[in-house]
Parts: sequence; structure tokens; C-alpha cells
Amino acid sequence: MTIDWGWIADHVDDMWSTTVEHLILTVIAVTVGLVLSLVLAIVALRWRRSYAPITWVTGVLYTIPSLALFTFLVPVFGLSLLTAEVALVSYTLLILIRNIVAGVNGVPAHVIEASRGMGMTDRRIFLGVQLPLALPAIIAGVRIAAVTTIGLVTLTVLVGQGGYGVFILRGIRRQFLTEALVGTVLSVLMAVAVDVVLIVVEQWATPWSRRRAAS
Amino acid sequence: MGDAVEPAEGGVVIDFLGEVAGWFADPANWTGNRGVPNLLLAHVSLSAVAVAAAALISLPSAIYLGHVRRGGFLAVSLVNIGRALPSFGIVGVMYPVTLAFALTRSPLGYWATLIAMILLAMPPMFVNAYTAIRDVDPALTEAARGMGMREGQVVRRLELPLGLPLIMAGIRSAAVAVVATVTLGAWVGYGTLGTYIFVGFAQGDEVLIFAGGLLVAMLAVVTELGLGWVERRTDQTHHGRRRQGARPLAISDEVVATRP
Amino acid sequence: MGEAMIRLEAVTKQYDGTTSPAVAGLTLDVPEGEIAVLVGPSGCGKTTTLKMINRLIEPTAGHIVVAGRRVGDMEAHELRRGIGYVIQQIGLFPHRTIAENIATVPKLLGWPRARIEERVDELIEVVHLEAELRDRYPAELSGGQRQRVGVARALAADPPVMLMDEPFGAVDPIIRSALQGQFLELQREVNKTVVLVTHDIDEAIRLGDKVAILNVGGVLEQYGPPEDVLREPANEFVAEFLGRDRGLKRLGLIPIHAVDLEPGPSLAPAATPEEARQVMARHGVDWIAVVDGTRLLGWAPDTALVGAATLGDVALRPFRTVISHDASLKEALDAVISSRSLAAAVLDGDVFLGMLTAETIGREIVQ
Repeated sequence: MTIDWGWIADHVDDMWSTTVEHLILTVIAVTVGLVLSLVLAIVALRWRRSYAPITWVTGVLYTIPSLALFTFLVPVFGLSLLTAEVALVSYTLLILIRNIVAGVNGVPAHVIEASRGMGMTDRRIFLGVQLPLALPAIIAGVRIAAVTTIGLVTLTVLVGQGGYGVFILRGIRRQFLTEALVGTVLSVLMAVAVDVVLIVVEQWATPWSRRRAAS
Repeated sequence: MGDAVEPAEGGVVIDFLGEVAGWFADPANWTGNRGVPNLLLAHVSLSAVAVAAAALISLPSAIYLGHVRRGGFLAVSLVNIGRALPSFGIVGVMYPVTLAFALTRSPLGYWATLIAMILLAMPPMFVNAYTAIRDVDPALTEAARGMGMREGQVVRRLELPLGLPLIMAGIRSAAVAVVATVTLGAWVGYGTLGTYIFVGFAQGDEVLIFAGGLLVAMLAVVTELGLGWVERRTDQTHHGRRRQGARPLAISDEVVATRP
Repeated sequence: MGEAMIRLEAVTKQYDGTTSPAVAGLTLDVPEGEIAVLVGPSGCGKTTTLKMINRLIEPTAGHIVVAGRRVGDMEAHELRRGIGYVIQQIGLFPHRTIAENIATVPKLLGWPRARIEERVDELIEVVHLEAELRDRYPAELSGGQRQRVGVARALAADPPVMLMDEPFGAVDPIIRSALQGQFLELQREVNKTVVLVTHDIDEAIRLGDKVAILNVGGVLEQYGPPEDVLREPANEFVAEFLGRDRGLKRLGLIPIHAVDLEPGPSLAPAATPEEARQVMARHGVDWIAVVDGTRLLGWAPDTALVGAATLGDVALRPFRTVISHDASLKEALDAVISSRSLAAAVLDGDVFLGMLTAETIGREIVQ
């Protein structure tokens, strides 16, 4: 049981193109998921009672294995990008919504009171005060969502998409360790890379969180 | 297939669901090697063994480290790695690996899936148990020691009971992840509920695919709800668990496993 | 005094499901340029009242008029942009620099950028903040510095009215006293109409041009200048609230320079010990102070005068109980009590103005 380095060397081009496919699938899922979650989070923040039902539905979507979601969607959308993306997006909603809501709720009450007292409108307060201050929590959620999505994208090969799952599936079919390993390792590398990038983004977007009083 | 919604669409959906219902009603699907009970049993038993094994391996060390408050970095790393590992990949890699160490008496796919599932289940169980023990109010442990409890007693009588809900949460999330991922065992030759999906894809049989997915989904939900109920029963402080107040999921927080 | 800048007319606030109102029919005028302090025990509705002025809380009944306009008739956001609002925890935006924080309301009002920058720098100076803090974030500042930024931010758009809710509550007593002093100086320059809420009666007395003592349920027990309230509390409740040391508190309001000082047992250096003994006898003390023109040279006890020709020949000891003429009588009394001689020398810089004893101070309370 050894690793076939020659095979790896021969398939570098394949790996690049698969990387691009994998990345695209991930980016679409996380972006759409984030947009949807923002909308739902705003609804939940505005109408407090809706938070429980929203969490319940997204919770169910989260519990249902993606594979099972694929099976529900295939009769409807076939072996298509849509099938894959709908399942991937559903998985991100719970985490993102929870983090957005918690982040916004975590903004200190006296900051909000001062904002209102100064005559800021609710919209201005949300966009200019609550969202920016909720960024750390939101980005934490995006990190988790992104990393898990990257892992899940490996499954989309089963519904006709590309990505690292291609290597894993072929590795299984041919009982070829190297190929399956390559698929797995590349997926982990991408997850780590994306995580690091998002950490950097967070640092860049929240310059105030790094500075502390001298005393 | 089916992107434009036509007036007849509704009828098509009903028909399809009817077919699925028909599949469930067909007694042939409930008998034999490919029957629901058989595959369900295989699925559940493998899951249970994996969860138990993972618990046996990770819980003692997690509880110990949590008690002495060391190894936090290990816990965080485990979470991050666990989250980054694709479950499909682990199963896929385990297959040829176990092939190399061919254990002939058991089905090959069984060991691949089992080992992969144990690896999958360990991070959330470890981290949740570690956090559960570590986060017990230090004032309480200090009081306990002050009363003359020995270290082992502090763990057994104080930290474990108080930490139980969170430990259960880790077990629960690991269990749901395992139940979901065992489905993939079908792809490496071990018969589970995933077999319906696997065969369905191979034969282009949408009803079979759907039925398989439905079974897996229901099993996952039942596991989640069932173990959730157990978890709530273990909460001796009678506070709502902290997830009632939405706290943001930090990277090392509330660890949930990755799964398909 | 100007005419009323802020007028509360029978303002009432009752929350749903409660049996008694938080504020019941409060009527109050705040003249322009004055600081009105709302003070009282918890539950007296002082903060509720304050927040009704800028409509963070809407009154159930009654009207509030600011600068001639009913606040209910204006758009809430517009109203608030014309009123400075300072709260106890300050509420600085953690994600904005000090300069950006201060610039908040001018930006909301659409001021041109240059004018905003100028105003920010001006205010930073006015509240005595180090100019280099301009581009730092709130987390990098100390509590006292943040407090000052809060005040600067409230003053940014130069509103005629300021509302302050326990503005100095979150810092330690030493800094609080300094901030209070700075605030009074500031008010001398900017002359805002201020409504300030506090639970600290001493702060109310120190800062207020008028003090409103509120009882539970927003009942106005007394409203007037602090000297009047201290001298003649309207009822038992007010007297209790002011505290047993009401008399001392009144002394705190009287500056020394408002009182006639006497020279006390003092003589020029040329005087003889014989003259000194006469003076000492007259004052009933056993020591004499030596004053050359307007300079206080020191003092000597009776026993040290033996054998000296004039007071100038005696070895003098330094006068330790010395107090500045712009201190209050209360501080003077404290100094007097802790001195051996039971007298304090009052100086304006180096110039000796006279002395205060416990007796002379006590006379002021009676008046």
C-alpha cells in the first residue's frame, strides 16, 4: 500500500481544473447561503417570534444528511448543479443565521442607546453600527460554513458535478489509494486555505478589535 | 428534467410520491438481504459500534484533560481538522487501506466504514467532553476539594454530572454524523440504507433513490430527536441549555461533526 | 436668566400593566443656560423623565416643549440631532475612531467635511483630550478619557440642549470630581441648557443651578437653587434625602471669598512680645502669627517669645493650616478642625487675606 507519486505528477493539470470546479461549487453555496441567511436573520431580528420557527426549519435541513437531500432533489432537478447547490446551501443556513443573530444581539445595549439618542435612524443603526460590530461572529459562522461546505462538495460527484469527489470516487471504484488520498488531502488543504483567508479578512475588516488600552 | 413548472407539474409530483409510497408498501422490499429491516439493522449496528468505540477512545482522555485543564490547543486543533476532513474522503481512503490489511472474515467495506466512522466521531465527542468538564464552575470544584473530595470523586460526583448534557450533545452530534455517513458504506461494498441510493443511481431508478434518502433522513432525524431527549434528561441544573440563548458558534464552540 | 428653554407640562408616563405611573404629572421649567439636576431615589422616574425629553420614551400624557416647539410635533430623529445626549456607559462606537465618534451628529446633519474636521479638533481641545488620541479607538482609552469623548460627541453639533444620565457614574471618585470640575468650566464657556440625572445628592448640589428632588413615581418634592433647598427643605422626605449633614453641604456652596475674614491673632515683625501677649489674650489663644505686609511669615507659641526684643527675632514655625481663598467654607472647616490651632490662614497665592476659625465659620451657617 504505497502512494503512486508518478500518478500524482501525471495528473497535476487534472488537479488544477478540479480545484477550480470545487472552489466554484463552494463559493456559490456559501455566497447564496450568506445572502439567504442575512435576509432570514433580518426577519428574525425584526419579528422576534419568527426566530424559533426559522431555526426549527433550518435545523431540520441541517439534520437531514446532504446525501438524502440529494435524493429528494434529483427527481425534481435531476443530476444538475441546482440539485447540488440547493443541498449545499440548506446546510449552511442554520449556522449562518444563528451567528448573524447572535452577533447583532451581542452589540452592547448602551452603544445602541447612544445611537438612537443621537438621532440615528433604525436603518442607519443596523447598517452602520450593528452589522459592523457583528462581523466577528458573522465571519466565524462563514468560516464554519465554508469549511464544512468544502467537505460536502466532495459528495456532489454523486449527482454529476465535479470537484475533488471525482478523485475519491474513482479511487474507490478502482481501489486505488493514491487517487482517493489525493482527493481527500486536496479537500483538506482547500479547507485550511479558505479558513486562513477568512481569518485574514476578519483581521482586515475589524481594525478596532486588535487595539487595546496601554494600561 | 422538470425545471419549467407546468400546470401538470402538481400531478407529476403526486404521482411520483405515489410511486414512492408504493415502494414502501411492497412487501418484497421488506424481506431478504436488500430488505429494509436487514439494511437498517446493518446500518444501525455499524453506527452504534462506531459511536461506542469512538466514545471509549475519546471520552476518558477528554475528561482527564478537561479536569486538569490542559490540552486546550489539542482540542481546538481536533475540531478544526475534524471539520476540514471530508467524510466521503475518509471512507474512500479507508477502503483501499483496509484492503491492504485484508480481514477476510468480515465484509471488506465494513472495516473501512467502521474505521472511517470512528475517526469521524472522535473530534466532536472529544471536544464537547473536554469543554464540558473544563467549564464546570471552578468555584464548585474548589468547594468540593475543600470539603475533602479526592480528585476522582470530584470528577465522578461533580464534573461528570454537571458536564453530562454537553457530553451528550457531543455524542448526539457524533451519532447523527455517523448515521448519515454510514450511508456511504454502500459505495465501498458494505450494505446499508445507502445501498438503495447507490443502486438507484446505478440503475437510474428515481423512486429507489428517493426511498433510500427518505429512510436515511428519517433515521437521522430520529437519532437527533431521540438523543436530544436523552440529553435534556441529563441536565440536572434545570436551566435551558445555553443554546436557547443564541450564542454565536465560535470555531471551537458547540462542536458538530461534518457529515454528508 | 433666560426664559424657559425646556418646559415639562404635566408629563406622565405609565407602563402597561402597572398600577401606578412611573412619572405622574411632572411640571418643571428649565431656564435657558442653566443646569437642572434631577435627583432622587431609585424608582423616582428621573431617567424616565430625561428620556421623554428626547423621546426615547414617549409620554403617556402631558407635553414637553423645547425651545418653543413641542417635541411631540417634531420627527424624533430630527429632535435628537438637536439635543446632546450623554449616558453613563457612554456608548462610544467601538469600531470608529475617536474623531469619527465625535463627528457622528455633524455627519448625520450633512456638514461639509472641512467644517467637521475643524469642529472635531476644536472639541478635542475643549474637553482637554490629548490631540494624538484623535485616531485611536475607544478600547485604547481610559475610562476618564472615554467620558470626555462622550461629552465632546454630545457637543459636536452645538446643540442648545444637553441631556445627561449619570454621566460621571462609571468612573472612580477622584476622576469623577475632576470631570465635574471640568464640566462646570466647560459650561461657563458654552452655556448650554442642561438636564442632568444623578442619584448622588452631592453631585446635584455641586453641578446644579437648580435641583429637582423627585420622589417615587415622579413626584416633584422641591425644585430650586441648591442653597435654597439646603436651607429650607420643603418636607421630611427632602430633608431625609439631603442627609443629616445638610448644614455642611451648604457650607460647601459658600466660597471663602464671599465671607468677611478677620486678621486673627497676627502682628507685624516689629511688634514686641508684650503687644503679642495682649493680642493673644484678646483672642484667647496661646500663639501669635507674624505677618509682614501681606506675607505670612509663620507663627510662634507663647513660650518662644521669652527674651526676644521684637517678633522678628523669634524663631518662627511655618503655618501649616493654609487654605486658598477660592475653596469652600466646608473645606475650610475641615482644615480648621484638623489643625492644632483651630484656625486656618486664608491665602490668595502668597497674599495673606485673613484667618478663619470654627466660630467665624459657624456664624455663616446661622445666616
